Amino acid sequence: MRFHTIIEPFRIKTVEPIRQTTEAERAAALAAAHHNVFLLKAGDVLIDLLTDSGTGAMSVHQWSGMMKGDESYAGARSFDVFERAVRDVTGFAHVIPTHQGRAAEHILFGTVVRPGDVVPNNTHFDTTRANVQDREGVALDLPIPAGHQPEAAHPFKGNMDVEALERTLCENRGRVPLVMVTVTNNSEGGQPVSLGNVRAVSDACRRHGVPLFIDACRFAENAWFVKMREPGYAGHTPLAIAREMFALADGCTMSAKKDGMSNIGGFLALNDGALAQRCRTRLVLTEGFPTYGGLAGYDLEAIAVGLREALDEDYLRYRIRSIEYLGEKLLAAGVPIVTPTGGHALYLDAKRWLWHVPQHEYPAWALSLVLYLEGGIRAAEIGSVMFGRQPDGSERPAELELVRLAFPRRVYTQSHVDYVAEVVLHVASLARRIRGVRMTAAPPVLRHFTAHFAPAHGALLVAPA
Amino acid sequence: MRHQSWAEPWRVKVVEPLRMTTRAERERAIREAGYNTFLLRSDDVYIDLLTDSGTSAMSDRQWAGMMLGDEAYAGSRNFYRLQDAVRRYYGFPHLIPTHQGRGAEHILSKVLIAPGDHVPGNMYFTTTRAHQELAGGTFEDVIVDEAHDPASEHPFKGDVDLEKLDAVVRRVGAARVPYVSVAATVNMAGGQPISLANLRAVREYTRRHGIRLILDATRAVENAWFVQQREAGQGDRLVAEILLEMCDLADGATMSGKKDSLVNIGGWLGLRDERLAERARNLVVLYEGLHTYGGLAGRDMEAMAIGIEESVREEHVRSRIGQVHYLGRKLAEAGVPIVRPVGGHAVFLDAAAMLPHLPRDQFPAQALAAALYLESGIRAMERGAVSAGRDAGSGENRYPRLELVRLTIPRRVYTQAHMDVTAESVAAVHEARDRVRGLRFTYEPEFLRFFQARFEPVGAPSPFAERAEGELGAAAAAAR
Repeated sequence: MRFHTIIEPFRIKTVEPIRQTTEAERAAALAAAHHNVFLLKAGDVLIDLLTDSGTGAMSVHQWSGMMKGDESYAGARSFDVFERAVRDVTGFAHVIPTHQGRAAEHILFGTVVRPGDVVPNNTHFDTTRANVQDREGVALDLPIPAGHQPEAAHPFKGNMDVEALERTLCENRGRVPLVMVTVTNNSEGGQPVSLGNVRAVSDACRRHGVPLFIDACRFAENAWFVKMREPGYAGHTPLAIAREMFALADGCTMSAKKDGMSNIGGFLALNDGALAQRCRTRLVLTEGFPTYGGLAGYDLEAIAVGLREALDEDYLRYRIRSIEYLGEKLLAAGVPIVTPTGGHALYLDAKRWLWHVPQHEYPAWALSLVLYLEGGIRAAEIGSVMFGRQPDGSERPAELELVRLAFPRRVYTQSHVDYVAEVVLHVASLARRIRGVRMTAAPPVLRHFTAHFAPAHGALLVAPA
Repeated sequence: MRHQSWAEPWRVKVVEPLRMTTRAERERAIREAGYNTFLLRSDDVYIDLLTDSGTSAMSDRQWAGMMLGDEAYAGSRNFYRLQDAVRRYYGFPHLIPTHQGRGAEHILSKVLIAPGDHVPGNMYFTTTRAHQELAGGTFEDVIVDEAHDPASEHPFKGDVDLEKLDAVVRRVGAARVPYVSVAATVNMAGGQPISLANLRAVREYTRRHGIRLILDATRAVENAWFVQQREAGQGDRLVAEILLEMCDLADGATMSGKKDSLVNIGGWLGLRDERLAERARNLVVLYEGLHTYGGLAGRDMEAMAIGIEESVREEHVRSRIGQVHYLGRKLAEAGVPIVRPVGGHAVFLDAAAMLPHLPRDQFPAQALAAALYLESGIRAMERGAVSAGRDAGSGENRYPRLELVRLTIPRRVYTQAHMDVTAESVAAVHEARDRVRGLRFTYEPEFLRFFQARFEPVGAPSPFAERAEGELGAAAAAAR
């Protein structure tokens, strides 16, 4: 007979104790963190869903790779292992390791983006946007309209609006150094991009002679969605789908902290040898020598193993299913979330949930604080705090006010997820009493990481019953 | 009784096999590497003395710490552990972790240097100067003259010449000097220390002129050991005490944990000024990572915290530098010209003295490093004109007075027997030195050219000219 229960395709080899806290302890911790969950001490968090970046559990095979790290400064054999693994999956000729994804962006944009250039993307993520703007470029988001509609039932809500891209390429001739497609589309809810869409984008880029780069952080999860949802791909392996996607592009940036299944690392991979050489020249300034790029040899080994593990079908089925499982529980209770559920995270729709909190009081931010206060769960705001500040310093509310419950890979069990569901439902019952916050201090760039906040009305985030 | 030998204060727990190569294999390997030892594959290298950066062996405690990594994106407990270690041993209240030292230099230069500024320092270092120049600054060398003389036995060749410093400040005005950059030890001078007395004098001077003092603390532990050994009145103090006083004299420090701190990856920026730290934190999120991990895995911060504690122990520093000096003594006995006195992390061969028949524009140190590899499989690093690069203004080659090859000793990795083989190999090349041919560029990168440059031998198919088969083997045997 065929069983329907999807189980983890692994057992646990090493555990890390977590700590229960009291509500009073959490209130004190939140105040000490200036009402910013990024500033909480990790030891005060029970279930950490802040990000799936670098927070995964490595496998025994990755740990055994760690012991094989060749720490030679130049020409380490660990680099050969890494380069082979990246080439095998992406097919790109030149592989440049970096200490993490944003460094690959920094190197790439630093090399090709000039002031005033326009960089289109389906949706830029925070560090991508910041790195484009750091070069005085314009980070242009071109998602399809369904991407902005939390309830729209589209199988590939991460797609890029190809017509808008065509227009952009025509209107900005000579000022578009590259086009990027982010898979999956994190800012829009971890939504996948179809291969058909990548192909159409690639065609447009070819016609206009503009290179296409993939922001490949979650390429394996995206491949799984293509396999499940896109006609004609059900019989393909995730690896074959990933290779087909990369073949449509000229290069990619990668944070190996996501689908590289590693705690640190990233890379830039590309076909253009001359550009690769220019990138390496910049790399040695800020990252390290081209055969280690700011990573220990042991990290290169762990990533090489992790890239293949991320493409394992049993793993991907379990991975995507865990998020779907939480989504089903919340939907059944009427909690507003982004549907369909994405690849690496579940997104709470704070705009619909806290409709009484105006956007300038950051409803999604407030919701993330209450989740911690009530249940010790740490989640990230993806809304007006992260995206509201414009390059000219003005403030514009974000399209979506989301709270992201990101799932670290292979870390939490079903009972952890059941607990999360219970906390979210409890917080939902308090929704009408949740109040907004105001920002009391903020740095000029990437403010969400370090800004300070306070409750906007009185001392409490949740009004007494 | 007091022992004179410096036996390692540890035993071996995990080993990594080495591969021997044939001369024919090395011929091919160095040719494919464009006669640049940076471009060799480590599998083709027998004893790797390219650098002491990130190449150390970690202890069992550090590996145990690796298993205690808290990989939370924000507020990882390993960050607080590292912050405690840095506060305790280096004394800087504000810690900004970075993936390695140049990440800290990148951020510091962006925060402090405005275009047109001048940054005096006790000799340049490659990445440090590159970041100063990228930020629009000009490096000004204010090290004592003795540092440029490989034969001088000055005990503190890393000292700042206060008259030179004063001349720079008078010429450009204190307002155009954002900080004085003091390295301890000075790598390019041969791993030479700065004295505590000199550091105090620089502090006194900069305080009077309202100029910051930033320490490059990469090998400050090794520097502290030299202070203990050589400076009057310091002999009874602990290395850790001296280290803390050195840091007390600075407003901030950049650190590559890949050296003194015994880790394979990691660095930090330490600061006293809260507002400056805040500005640095705003940049670290853009280039490195959130300010509580700075581009490092949690486990790497834990390993560095433990490494810091291990690095300041007397018996560790003593055996570390003892091994370097053992190699130095052997080479000196064999008549090989080396930089005197021997420094903390490496023995530097004086290529200009060894190869007087090669003009500077044929890069004698680069040629010597290639010849040494070819002969023995030992990988060393050029630290001469190729590393110095071109003048930012004129575009001409810079020819520093020191044209050196660095035999850098990784920490806790090689044994005394490895050092013996190294000494014999260098002596053999020294015997045959008049046959070493020069090199010229076939590819020259824009920044930090030494990393990726490619060369070809001038007027010969190999950096060893007219070599009769077996001849060098005989020389090596004679040297033994």
